[in-house]
Amino acid sequence: LLTDVSGTALEKNITLASPTKVELTCKLDENSNLKNPQVTWKRGSETISHTSKTPNSWTIQLTISESSQLGSYICILKGEIEVSATFHLQVPKIDGKEKRIITYEADRAVMVCKTEYDPKAWTWYMTNGTELVPINKILPTDKFQIKRQSGNVNRLEILKLTQEDRGVYWCEAAFELGSSKGRFELKVLSITAPLKPFIAIVAEVAILVTTIVLYEVYSKKKEKGAAKEFDQIEQL
Amino acid sequence: PAPAEAGRAPGPPDGGWGWVVLFGAFVSIGFAYAFPKGLAIFFKEIQDFFGTSYSEIAWISSIMLATTYGAGPISSILVNRYGSRPVVMFGGLLCGVGMISASFCTSILQLYICVGFITGFGLALNLQPSVIIIGKYFLKRRPLANGLAMAGSPVMLCTLAPLNQFLFDNFGWRGSFLILGAILLNCCVAGALFRPIGAGTALVKTQVAEEEKDALKGKITEGGPMENKTEEEGGKDCFEKVNQYLDFSLFKHRGFLIYLIGNVLMFLGFFAPIVFLAPYAKHTGIDEYSAAFLLSILAIVDMVARPATGVIANSRWVRPRIQYFFSFAIAFNGACHLLCPLASSYTGLVVYSSFFGLAFGMVCAMLFETLMDLVGAARFTSAVGLVTIAECCTILLGPPIGGILIDTFGDYKYMFIKCGAVMVLAGTFLFIMNYYNYRMLAKEEKERKTKEEDPKSVKTENEGKKNWNKDSTQDGPELEPLREEGEGVKKEMNGT
Repeated sequence: LLTDVSGTALEKNITLASPTKVELTCKLDENSNLKNPQVTWKRGSETISHTSKTPNSWTIQLTISESSQLGSYICILKGEIEVSATFHLQVPKIDGKEKRIITYEADRAVMVCKTEYDPKAWTWYMTNGTELVPINKILPTDKFQIKRQSGNVNRLEILKLTQEDRGVYWCEAAFELGSSKGRFELKVLSITAPLKPFIAIVAEVAILVTTIVLYEVYSKKKEKGAAKEFDQIEQL
Repeated sequence: PAPAEAGRAPGPPDGGWGWVVLFGAFVSIGFAYAFPKGLAIFFKEIQDFFGTSYSEIAWISSIMLATTYGAGPISSILVNRYGSRPVVMFGGLLCGVGMISASFCTSILQLYICVGFITGFGLALNLQPSVIIIGKYFLKRRPLANGLAMAGSPVMLCTLAPLNQFLFDNFGWRGSFLILGAILLNCCVAGALFRPIGAGTALVKTQVAEEEKDALKGKITEGGPMENKTEEEGGKDCFEKVNQYLDFSLFKHRGFLIYLIGNVLMFLGFFAPIVFLAPYAKHTGIDEYSAAFLLSILAIVDMVARPATGVIANSRWVRPRIQYFFSFAIAFNGACHLLCPLASSYTGLVVYSSFFGLAFGMVCAMLFETLMDLVGAARFTSAVGLVTIAECCTILLGPPIGGILIDTFGDYKYMFIKCGAVMVLAGTFLFIMNYYNYRMLAKEEKERKTKEEDPKSVKTENEGKKNWNKDSTQDGPELEPLREEGEGVKKEMNGT
């Protein structure tokens, strides 16, 4: 199903969600210095035999049906120089959020997990100390809501936030070949947090506007005074 | 700064307090243009929060942009009626209120209203008066002033982008909106600086004669007595009243029409390349940060290009032919876009971004200057309102059309070709039409000089807000003596 072409030391990630047959090919560039190398396919310490071979490419065929078969497969070309390429067979990763999610008390927090393929099941966890506690239907639904937006997108909403809700949350997507996790860190602020800079800026605006207006009134008074003098001089 | 009121020349001071006003305009214009762009940082988070699609979020930007440009005429009417200062201060207040209420929104519809309409309208009330007041404070150095003021946009964008990111990381989107609301209140500060300037209502005939001799480009400054007379004449029908607030007779003005058509055409291809530059870069395999860096290059070059263009446009050689310079800038912009598909490597795109930044800055710096040059500072208030609402449609259409082209053909180059072609066309059109316009004006000027007839439309440098042209013909007899005194009556367009 899948093939790959590589010429120099390379890595490639291949995402597998469900059991499939995979073909990995190492192809040598015609302009390479390496001629007629000895090729071995390895996984860890285990050597795998070629399935097919052409003058410039070497292929192995694998049937991946369980998670233990995932991992890194390397093809090593030995000649005057040694060149290798690595294929990483993995389950789909989850796009989580590395940065903290900032939310406010009495507001709601939304965490969205997205993967490339549809997993069999989604599970959300919250951390209690070092333990992972699954969030499931036992917990009140007016506080926790899990929605499946589409096959590969899952959403956790936490309503009526309080300070205790802060911490780390995990979403786990279970595939046939394994599962992957996404991490979210929730931070709950009180409303006063942004209020301080807000008031500071509003005060600054008020002060500046007042200063400008006062300056203008002052300079107008000066002008009027000068104008009066001017008129008087003219009349004289 | 101005001397005693009685002896103040109603001609623009070209300095003094004008520089302070320029700074205020810099801030105000900066917010108006940069704020919608800066909001894009929050969109992903808001999209996740409300569970909406990307296009629903993009509507926030579109509504904001549409309101900012579409509310132009309203802004113009208000400035005509109340002057720049109250309008800007009210606009700043409105922006602040809009964003503060946005931070408490619980649905995307509420965001449309708070961020889109209210803040957009506030920004519109910021943008127009700032541009207008520059025309009132500067004449000899007006292109320079325009260039400097328009430089506010890239500077503000470069400031807002990292600031928004910082606010977002520390306060989430709600807190950020709250604080941004406070920051937008600074537009009120900018507005407070816009000290009203204009012909007082107590000018004497002799004063006017002196001023005419002083007038740098031969603009007439007529005094209060006329204004009072027109007010007294009353008996205005509805049309005249509307005309008083928003000068629809501009549609008979040749220069205005040329500008309008050229610009409406230009805006079809103006903003799309910026919107699609980063996606295009990513499409050619460049990583996200380098793609973002391209936009930074664009902004930095833009920042420098605008004042530089202002200086060039102000010079003795360019100013009389500023319309040609403007057309050239537009065509140059178009040429950049047409050449972009040839740039395939990162270096090529860097070069493109630099030239694009330069061209973009040149056009923006002169955008309002050329309009002022064509219609004069008095009618500029109405002109800018009418122009922005017309541009509103094409500005909104530009990026979506580009997007459709990209989706249909799967290739970005057609979008660039379309934008380039449109702009080259617009530039050429403006060039030819302005050549024609310059010639017609020279001819009219000659006719007037030799025949000394009453010109059909007297352009006045009246910082007040009234429009004359309908009324001036009725006022014929009163105007005669003044005109005889001022031999050097010329139309604004004439070069020195």
